[in-house]
Amino acid sequence: MKRILAAAAAVAAAAFSASGQVRTGDEGQLSASFETNTIYYVDDKGIPGSTPDDHFGSNNYLKVDYNYRKFSAGIQIEGYFPALYGYEIGTQEDPKKLWLGSKYISWDDENFSVLVGNVYEQFGNGLIFRSYEDRQLGLNNSLEGARVSFSLSRYLTVKGVYGRPRLYTDYAGSWVRGMDLSISIADIFKWDSILLSVEGSYINRYESLDKDSFMDFYSLGLDTPQLNMYSGRVNFGWKGLSLKGEYATKSKDLPTSASTKAVKGAAIYAEAIYSYKTFSISGTYRILDNMGTMLSLYGSGTGNALNYLPALTRQYTYMLANLNPYQVNVSGETAGQIDAYYSLRSKESRHKYWNFHANYSTAYTLNPSQSSTEGIQLMWSDANVDIERQWGRKLKTILLFSRQEWSPSHGFEAETYVSNIFVGDVTYKFDRKKSLRVELQYLLSDDYEGDWAACLAEFSFAPRWSIFASDMYNLEGTKKNYYNAGFSYTKGRSRIQISYGRNRAGYICSGGVCRYSPAYTGLNFTMTTSF
Amino acid sequence: MARNLMSCLSGSNNVIINYWKMKISRLITAMAAILVSVSAAAQTLPDVTVEDAQGKEISVRSLLTGKPLIISYWSIACKPCIQELNAINDVIEEWREEADFEVVAVSVDDVRMQANAKAKASSLGWEFTCIYDPNQALKRAMNVNLTPQSFVVDADGNIVFSHAGYTPGSEELLFEKVLELSE
Repeated sequence: MKRILAAAAAVAAAAFSASGQVRTGDEGQLSASFETNTIYYVDDKGIPGSTPDDHFGSNNYLKVDYNYRKFSAGIQIEGYFPALYGYEIGTQEDPKKLWLGSKYISWDDENFSVLVGNVYEQFGNGLIFRSYEDRQLGLNNSLEGARVSFSLSRYLTVKGVYGRPRLYTDYAGSWVRGMDLSISIADIFKWDSILLSVEGSYINRYESLDKDSFMDFYSLGLDTPQLNMYSGRVNFGWKGLSLKGEYATKSKDLPTSASTKAVKGAAIYAEAIYSYKTFSISGTYRILDNMGTMLSLYGSGTGNALNYLPALTRQYTYMLANLNPYQVNVSGETAGQIDAYYSLRSKESRHKYWNFHANYSTAYTLNPSQSSTEGIQLMWSDANVDIERQWGRKLKTILLFSRQEWSPSHGFEAETYVSNIFVGDVTYKFDRKKSLRVELQYLLSDDYEGDWAACLAEFSFAPRWSIFASDMYNLEGTKKNYYNAGFSYTKGRSRIQISYGRNRAGYICSGGVCRYSPAYTGLNFTMTTSF
Repeated sequence: MARNLMSCLSGSNNVIINYWKMKISRLITAMAAILVSVSAAAQTLPDVTVEDAQGKEISVRSLLTGKPLIISYWSIACKPCIQELNAINDVIEEWREEADFEVVAVSVDDVRMQANAKAKASSLGWEFTCIYDPNQALKRAMNVNLTPQSFVVDADGNIVFSHAGYTPGSEELLFEKVLELSE
């Protein structure tokens, strides 16, 4: 381990002194990246009790890869000194502070590949299996094991995975194995302009039910340590039209750590996209029925997920539009969203155009038992529209309106809250290097914390410097300010950002998956570099 | 006896000092070799499978057509990424009067937002090749920690420049590298 760390330190030192890549031999090459997210937490009378005892948190990742022709190998060292406040990694029983979070050796031939180590893979739309990393969530559920893939020309691809899943800074006590098969009908019949494929996947999770005498899974209805999941899919594409459909099912299981009864699960996913010139429309629809699947029956938290069931909602970059994000209800949900885009472009100038976008997303409970009213309840809806106008080389404006209706009880009660959000976003470019961006936002609501106002100003001096300041203020409820100011400096592939601010308690979402973050005030230092 | 012991210890110390001198010298030599090679070499585009706009699997290296490439990462939730790609699209005709090159937009949206990303890319009229990396295999292989991140790749597939983040105007760094390659 010390040797690995010494080697990694040498590589990191090289990364800071130059940008490029280390060639070792004729074609062998070494590349690496480093990321740190460090916060010094400050006592804040405005949000009492929000400071961790040692006032410090730091998440660090060093990834090193070596590649020689068809051979690759790599490691990822992770350091939590300690984990940032609110990250589930830090709340585990015995989290490792510095450890080899990931490693692999792989061989990729034209039609055959094998990887031994931490496997990142996804079958279909992830309804039964996705292993991936999301550092913003502190999530890494890669499989420590092996993956083999074989392709027969373009006609057929078979993948197999086997391993034990990573759970925070340890490994779950379960074993996961699975296969995925994809057959391209269009290639078999040589339909060049069409995409038509049929696919199927199988996942098995094995975990002993007798590891903890205090947990009696038999009384909850589980009678076997084996969980089986199946999925079937069809993909079709022709010119501007693309269609996808998937059906998944699973055997009896406890969908979440709070489940009191073992049940079977199922899911349906459908997606359609149509594009014609600068108009395009897309829609996704999904039904989830007890489809939550844990890596381990003995674990809990956002990171304890074997499959990928994100919220089907719009992803905003504006503070007030993200104030109350929807979190998926894996027990039962019918959800969908539709997006329409249209761009109106000037024939005389490429610097003048209108971009129009409308989106609607909604989610309802699936089973009457999910609600106290024993009916189907709305959990979320968002109708929004944004208009972007590029006036010329210097000026761009964006106007956004969003009407969000959400259930504070996740559909258990009939009561919902409504927010109307208005955003104005202006960017002005003074010359080739200097620009200013200003956001003004207002949230209008008779419910929960009432009205909010927010603003942001960002001055950029390309290509290296950016200075920003923002504030978000609750006018009627807590009447608190959530301010933030800082700067970033970028050179090549390295970027440093230092900021100071107060953060509201709430859900941090990435890729539709959310984790709860407590309120805090602090000085934040982030740095990323790679070579 | 005492003198002998001193000389023995002194001899032992010399051996230890020489041993560490040799170790440090080797370490410095190795570090220097690494730094020299770092400044001299270029990374190559990894051979990873991604999806094209229609959903077919393609090799990233199949995008090499003998012209320089600008590769730019983006996602639906990454506003500066879309800003950068729009800025490149705005000036692409002017740039192409001076150099022959291609632009590849890599979406790292997962399956949740992929349909949305495809619809958006199509409507924005980008004159780029759009590829999709839903489980971030290419992102991992190119060691991209944060987006936006853009690369300039020469005709042989060597990565000659990259830049993280985006501030309005920083897209010109990419074009300067493309021009250098075209000279």
